[in-house]
Amino acid sequence: MRRTVAGTAIGVPVVAATAALAPVRLPVALGVLLVGGGGWLWAWAVIGRNWRSWGYAERADDLLVVHGALFRTLVVVPYGRMQLVDVVAGPVERAFGLVSVRLHTAAATTDARICGLTSGDAGALRDRLAALGEARAAGL
Amino acid sequence: MPPGSEEGEGFGRLHRMTPVVHAIRLAGAVGAAAAFQLSQRSDRTDTGRWVVGTVGVLALVVLAREVVSWAVTRFRLETGELRVDSGLVTRQSKRLRLDRIQSVDLLQPLAARLCGMAELRVTTAGSERAAARLRYLALPAAEALRAEILGRASGLGAGVAEAPERALLVVPARTLVASVLLGLANWRIVLLLIGPLSGLTAAAGGARGAAAAGIAFGSLLPVLFVMAHHVWRQVTGLWEFTVADSPDGLRLRYGLLATRSQTVPPGRVQALRLHQPLLWRPFGWVSVRMNVAGYVGSREHVNTLLLPVAPRAVAQWLVGTALGGVDLESVPLTRPPRRAAWCAPIWWRAMATGSDDRVFVARHGLLSRTIVVVPHERTQSVRIEAGPWQRLWHLATVHLDSTRGPVRIRAAHRDEGEARVILDVQADRAGRARRAAGPDRWMGPTPGQARAGPG
Repeated sequence: MRRTVAGTAIGVPVVAATAALAPVRLPVALGVLLVGGGGWLWAWAVIGRNWRSWGYAERADDLLVVHGALFRTLVVVPYGRMQLVDVVAGPVERAFGLVSVRLHTAAATTDARICGLTSGDAGALRDRLAALGEARAAGL
Repeated sequence: MPPGSEEGEGFGRLHRMTPVVHAIRLAGAVGAAAAFQLSQRSDRTDTGRWVVGTVGVLALVVLAREVVSWAVTRFRLETGELRVDSGLVTRQSKRLRLDRIQSVDLLQPLAARLCGMAELRVTTAGSERAAARLRYLALPAAEALRAEILGRASGLGAGVAEAPERALLVVPARTLVASVLLGLANWRIVLLLIGPLSGLTAAAGGARGAAAAGIAFGSLLPVLFVMAHHVWRQVTGLWEFTVADSPDGLRLRYGLLATRSQTVPPGRVQALRLHQPLLWRPFGWVSVRMNVAGYVGSREHVNTLLLPVAPRAVAQWLVGTALGGVDLESVPLTRPPRRAAWCAPIWWRAMATGSDDRVFVARHGLLSRTIVVVPHERTQSVRIEAGPWQRLWHLATVHLDSTRGPVRIRAAHRDEGEARVILDVQADRAGRARRAAGPDRWMGPTPGQARAGPG
């Protein structure tokens, strides 16, 4: 999804600029095309790396979430500590049929979200988490 | 839900003197504004009158609001809940679950104290909106209600007398004043003083010395005023700081003019921090702050103070007592690997973390020293974070997330493998500690039995 978004965000202006400049100054237009193309390839690779870095594992007592290629984060959230499970889908995510699941504990610093799930998966995950959270609720 | 059509009786009301207390409080504010305007002695007295008039009208509006709020607020203790109904236009009915109470505080601002009134504030976890404020009740009534709420919340039931307490320590006045004065010397004051002092030095050698000195003194005055105000507020606010222990948890009492009395039930202290500013080190003093889920928002800075100043050994003993008999000295601490110097040049030497089977302890700070403590059963989630520079040196930082408050717990710049071990061990210990933790109703049945019911 992000590849498409980034591709559009970089591609459209580049193509537009090239088209606008081509009749006037051909070398400049070619330069823009080259830089834009390079940027596009770079974005493709970075987003791919970032996408591969996301992951989660449901363990017996807690949920493990990893993300980040450059700044790596690994969070362990015990089921008994979950106060609230959020399922969020922004307009762009919705266009691709994706949703994110967010976990909240009593600590504001807990940063556990799982992005890019299909809505079916997300719903099932949310229900499983809610059930586990209820079974192991531990107050604060 | 129109008032008067409620089922059942037994609602309590706020005291009749409440509007008087608010009036005194607001009169003080208007009086201060008037005095300030008079002290200006400007030629344009019209402006002064206008300002005082506006403040007066505003005060009247606020007073009217408080009177209405006093007239429509009612409260009642129900089974397992404290119910507070308020609001004239938008009716609001708050229910606080007694087994989820985080603290019960009795506050006496000066105006209320003069009239023998007190505010009772009951907090639950979350935001300031999750708290019930009953202003004002007569002092004996407020104390009786506090005892009743704590009795019911503890699981002992209705009609229990207030639990007996054991005084742990009182902060001596001399220590308090000295610590506040030493605490003044921080970087903010240094920044404020740079301007006036450089002016003075210029005056000493300059040609137009007198003028420069005048300006310097002129700009020094407000700084001195701010400092004096700060000292006055700290000293009177924290006067005779008393810490006591009771079956209902920690009790804190302090204040010279306005007084506060806080009760934090057992198991509500989420994490603690012992802090030693640089200038306190010759005296060996430390202050202690705590994370309590109910103490959030604008009053966080006042509420979360467990001990303003005490010798280090005393503070460590108090922290151990608050956590139910933990000895901080016996927790083995280890330093991060030597290559952590690439991420934290000199101060990596002051960092150390460790844990035993009950608490996790982290220490840091080269000049000002800080020690944080969190019991395993109170950690919310565990996190490892590693930025690109840290990854180059195979280092990672472990965070133990606690509820909102002044205490942040982390083990910075540990070896990657070790960080993973810390994470796994903490997650496992937290899980076991959680299952063994005491019940929300601290005098009630053991957790196994308590969990049998719904919720």
